Parts: sequence; structure tokens; C-alpha cells
Amino acid sequence: MHPVVIPGKIVRFLEQHANLAFAGSCDRNLVPHGHRVSGWHVAADGRTLTALVAERFTAGLVENLEDNGQLALTVEEFPSHETYQFKGRYLGHRPAGDEDYAAVARIRDRFVRSVRPLYADAPDSLLQAFITEPELAVQFEVREVFLQTPGPGAGTRLVPPVQS
Amino acid sequence: MAAILPDDIRPVLDNGIPAIMVTCSAEGIPNVTVISQVYYVDQGHVALSFQFFNKTIRNVRENPRAFVCVNDVAGLAPWILRLEFQRTETEGAIFDAMDMQIEAIASATGMSGIFKLRGADIYRVLSVERIAAPESAVSR
Repeated sequence: MHPVVIPGKIVRFLEQHANLAFAGSCDRNLVPHGHRVSGWHVAADGRTLTALVAERFTAGLVENLEDNGQLALTVEEFPSHETYQFKGRYLGHRPAGDEDYAAVARIRDRFVRSVRPLYADAPDSLLQAFITEPELAVQFEVREVFLQTPGPGAGTRLVPPVQS
Repeated sequence: MAAILPDDIRPVLDNGIPAIMVTCSAEGIPNVTVISQVYYVDQGHVALSFQFFNKTIRNVRENPRAFVCVNDVAGLAPWILRLEFQRTETEGAIFDAMDMQIEAIASATGMSGIFKLRGADIYRVLSVERIAAPESAVSR
């Protein structure tokens, strides 16, 4: 698979609507590992994503990525459940910084606004705490984008398009 | 290697909050998906719904290991289950109970008629871990 450009509609979804994410990696024994993701950045060229991996969910991640380079990131808008999965090749990582904390704060606010109608009595602090602070920023080059919204079309590859 | 599911996890499995499942293909490519239910079978097994022939289903049939994160909204402390796929059941008590739960979830989320249970995939629990809640979830 070659690098692809994330379609503009999905970039807008990432930047304006999505509020939850989770990443997956795989170790050398083919054991899957999961990593909660608190936020993300889309590069200006639309070819790379940076996943802001949450505290307590970084175990094994860098080792796995340096071993095989494969990362999957699923990003969802809750509660509509519109979901996309991005698969690609690891480019690098760094500790989370101020720009990353700011991005997570925006996504946390978006999440609280989205779930507030479902949990009218829940204190803001409880809903905010669901999106924890990032520890690690992992950059990867996107090579495939899949529709992952629950239903019969889930898993359909959108980019590059499937040849019929 | 096997683990016992503690009683504390039972209400979390039943809380109706979607869980996350990570699998890996035989080529080592991970896949992350949202799953609607993790069904308690017994102290050493859970069942996950098989509704569509998707990547997750293909992955666990070629590489049986799976990672599941179950969200405890009240406690803010997610549970991590490491699982191994064993078999699919297409009838019987577990299948019937999951089928009923899926219909209830679909109805509650406006997705009636979209979800149909093809099978109850039975997994052995290899390990279970509760990730401690952060001291301050929002520290900045």
C-alpha cells in the first residue's frame, strides 16, 4: 500500500465532529495491543495523522511500532457512531506537548457537548474525565481509510477505492 | 495461561457502553473496532457477537488472539481483557441471550433491523486487568 490523502470530508469529520478514538498495534508474536487515544492532528497535506495516546495506554506501543511499523486508528463521533479507521505506517513519536494538550482540550469540550443530552445530570467533571491527558504523540502515514460506522457497510475500504 | 473474571467486572460488562476490540491479521496488521456487547459466559469465558463477515471475524479465525477494552463510565477505570478465540455457537442459551440483547441495543440506538446475530463467538479469557483511574484526569 502507498500513502494516500485523507478525503476532505473525513478531514472535516476529524477536525469538527469526532470525539473518541482508539489505536491498535501488534507485537512480534501477533498479539494485538490497544491504546486509548485522547486526540489527534491531521497534517496540512492530509497524508499523515498524529495520534495523541492517553496516559496509561502506551505500554508496548513504541516497541511494536519500531518492530513492524503497523498502526490502526479508529475515530468515532459519539453518540452518532459515525466511525472511520485509518491504517498506516509509523513515522515517529515524541512526548505530548502544549499543542497536543490544547487539541485534547478542544476534543474533550466537543465530547462533553455531544454526550450532555444523554447524561443530563452528570457533572461536567465526570464527562471531562473520560478524555484523559495525552502522554505520547505518534505520527503515521495513512495508507488506507475504512468506513467503520456500525452496520453492514462497516469495514468497507474507502481510500484507496476497492477495485471492482 | 488463563484468568478468572472478577465479580467486579459483571456490571461493567452489562452497562451497555460499547467496548473496543483490537485484533491482528496473520500478516501482523492490527484492526480496531467498536463492539456493542461483551457477554459474560462463565468465570473464564466471554462471548462476542458475530454479526457481519468483517475484518475482525476474519482476523480471529486466522489469529485467535484479541484485546478488548471495556469502559467503566462510573469508575473511569477501563478493564482490559486479553482473549483467545475458541469457537462459534449458532444456537443454544448463549446465542439466544445475545440475540435478545443485540435486538435491545439496536432498538435503543435506532438501528433495529441492521444488526442480526450470526453467531456467538466464544473466547477464553487469558488475562484481565483494571487500569487505574488517573489521579487527575484533566490536569492542565
